[in-house]
Amino acid sequence: MSEVIQRDTMLSYITGSVESSAESVAIRAINERGREALENIPFPTKKDEDWRFVDLKSITKNQFCKLEEANASALGDISEHYLPEAMNSRLVFVNGVYNEEFSSVEDLPNNVIVGNLAAHADNNAVKEHLGTITNYENDVFAPFNDAIFKDGAFIYVPEETVVKTPIHILNIFTDSEKAFYAAPRLLYVGEMFSKSTIIEEHIGLADNMYLNVPVTEFKMFTGSNVHHARIQRDSKKASHVSRPIAILDKNAEYHSYTICLGAKLFRNDPRVIQNAEEVDFTVDGLVLIDGDQIADTHSIMDHRFAHAGSHQQHKVVVNDSAHSIFNGKIFVAKDAQKIDSFQENRNLLLSDNGKVNTKPQLEIFADDVLCSHGATIGQLQDEEVFYLQSRGLTEQKSRELLVYAFALESVESMAVESVEKLLLNEVIKYTNRDNK
Amino acid sequence: MLEIKNLHAKVEGEDIHILKGVNLKVNAGEIHAIMGPNGSGKSTLSKVVSGHPEYEVTEGEILFNGEDITELDADERAHLGLFLAFQYPVEVPGITNKTLLREAYNTIARANDREELDPIEFEDYIESKLDIINMKDEFLSRSINTGFSGGEKKKNEIFQMAVLNPVLSFLDETDSGLDIDALKVVSDGVNKIANDKNAIVMITHYQRLLNYIKPDFVHVMMAGKLIKSGGIELAEDLEANGYDALEKELVLNGEAQ
Repeated sequence: MSEVIQRDTMLSYITGSVESSAESVAIRAINERGREALENIPFPTKKDEDWRFVDLKSITKNQFCKLEEANASALGDISEHYLPEAMNSRLVFVNGVYNEEFSSVEDLPNNVIVGNLAAHADNNAVKEHLGTITNYENDVFAPFNDAIFKDGAFIYVPEETVVKTPIHILNIFTDSEKAFYAAPRLLYVGEMFSKSTIIEEHIGLADNMYLNVPVTEFKMFTGSNVHHARIQRDSKKASHVSRPIAILDKNAEYHSYTICLGAKLFRNDPRVIQNAEEVDFTVDGLVLIDGDQIADTHSIMDHRFAHAGSHQQHKVVVNDSAHSIFNGKIFVAKDAQKIDSFQENRNLLLSDNGKVNTKPQLEIFADDVLCSHGATIGQLQDEEVFYLQSRGLTEQKSRELLVYAFALESVESMAVESVEKLLLNEVIKYTNRDNK
Repeated sequence: MLEIKNLHAKVEGEDIHILKGVNLKVNAGEIHAIMGPNGSGKSTLSKVVSGHPEYEVTEGEILFNGEDITELDADERAHLGLFLAFQYPVEVPGITNKTLLREAYNTIARANDREELDPIEFEDYIESKLDIINMKDEFLSRSINTGFSGGEKKKNEIFQMAVLNPVLSFLDETDSGLDIDALKVVSDGVNKIANDKNAIVMITHYQRLLNYIKPDFVHVMMAGKLIKSGGIELAEDLEANGYDALEKELVLNGEAQ
């Protein structure tokens, strides 16, 4: 008789049950599907290849409760987090719950839908696409979101519609007595030849512990175009596990830029799936971590048809005893010829105790493709510091300027001026923290 | 202005001694040239004077306007008016020439209780210096030395010198790697910057630089010491007879160790 070893599931780390309380039938069905998967899929350990380097203690040493039991603080004035370009094209979620009062979508064209999922559960695009794009095998986090989300953001851009105003999805987390879990959800449906810019932001206002497990799904129809910036500024004690995925039809363009500044543990698994020929996509990242932060990116660029151009630049700065992990997979299927894919992971280590693991992974089954990758890990060069210092800059200022220059390129891709400014400030804050 | 007394220096943390008793005196309004074969310590001397942390002074002192600067950091020396034109200028992608120079100019101004320039004032100031080195406007908004040709990098060093207006400049093999046209432009620039209040020390392998920038004094460096000093005729002599002849002559005279 063989002995079955019972492994922990995600449910081991939360209190109470995850029975669905969603009103919509469509959402309830996804909740149910998620719950079943949760009960059956074991929680990852370091023995799983995709989790080898990451320390999951900030989840497994805790018990996370429902928001209702956490005694979370009420929301004060959050207007400092509004983007001037998106004053009336903003959805606000507080601890994962839609907040109508702080949201405003008056600036958008009439035929564009930017609202909460629960209110649009009967919309055909929601019924058709919600929960159908996410595809993470043996994963516990996407099913966790599936099981517990009741609401979320829904963006629908109709055919030939260009939304000029950036759309700001602001996820705010307040202080709380107990560690709670939240499952922000975003469904984006871009019809043929539509175009928009999405700023998805996660901000922790205090330094409390919580578990943020967002799922974002982008359905991109023929010729549609999206610029998707994701800014993670969660509390430095929070754990954030993201599942952003996009599926691209012919001639679609999806450009994503993930900036990681916050969270004790950040695990991000962006995936872009090519669903037809001739697409173009970007999966860029900028990680600035210090203290004992962990930031882990496992990305997949999945080329399934011919003629795709894809690009990934993942830049990392590590200070103190922080730890960055990068595993970038580029898949090219057998008949996916004429793929032009480029991946670069550059790491800057500022301390002796910082740690970087990097693993580019190319799996190419077509024979007429141009795929390249590179990974570097380096420190600031003494000669660079001396050069700037010999011009009169202090050693501290010289180092700041060099780190700033390293991060600059990623920040400049933001396409929204106030976001660029905000990130430049964050970079300056990160680089001159010892000066304060 | 500058007085180097019995300067000994070695590579920090290692037992490699490079400078073995350098003595040099430079006054305002003077141009000096230090010549010498590879490995004689010329470049090291310029780095030690400008405060490179890779080297440790083990004996002697460096006096600048009477103040001992041996223990000062590189930026503090820059604030006093020292400048080093690098033999191999460093590429810094992501920071423009203009950004660096404004930061540098204003940091030096602050340290000397002089007025800082705001971005618009600085723009005017820096553009007025472009002519000195025959440089185009677009040069200012390019990343420091990134993708520059060898000649452009050397020109950029002299341009930075013009903008920061140092009291004493060391030019470390600024002529190496330059074709004759670029050499003329760079030399012209240096001659325009030189006046009776500042001083320049050129470090070079080749006598040809001295055809364009006339030194008041020429020194020969060998094995970590300045072994002979003189006027321009010393450089001409070296060009004609080489370092070996000079070394032999010194041995015969009992001047070399």
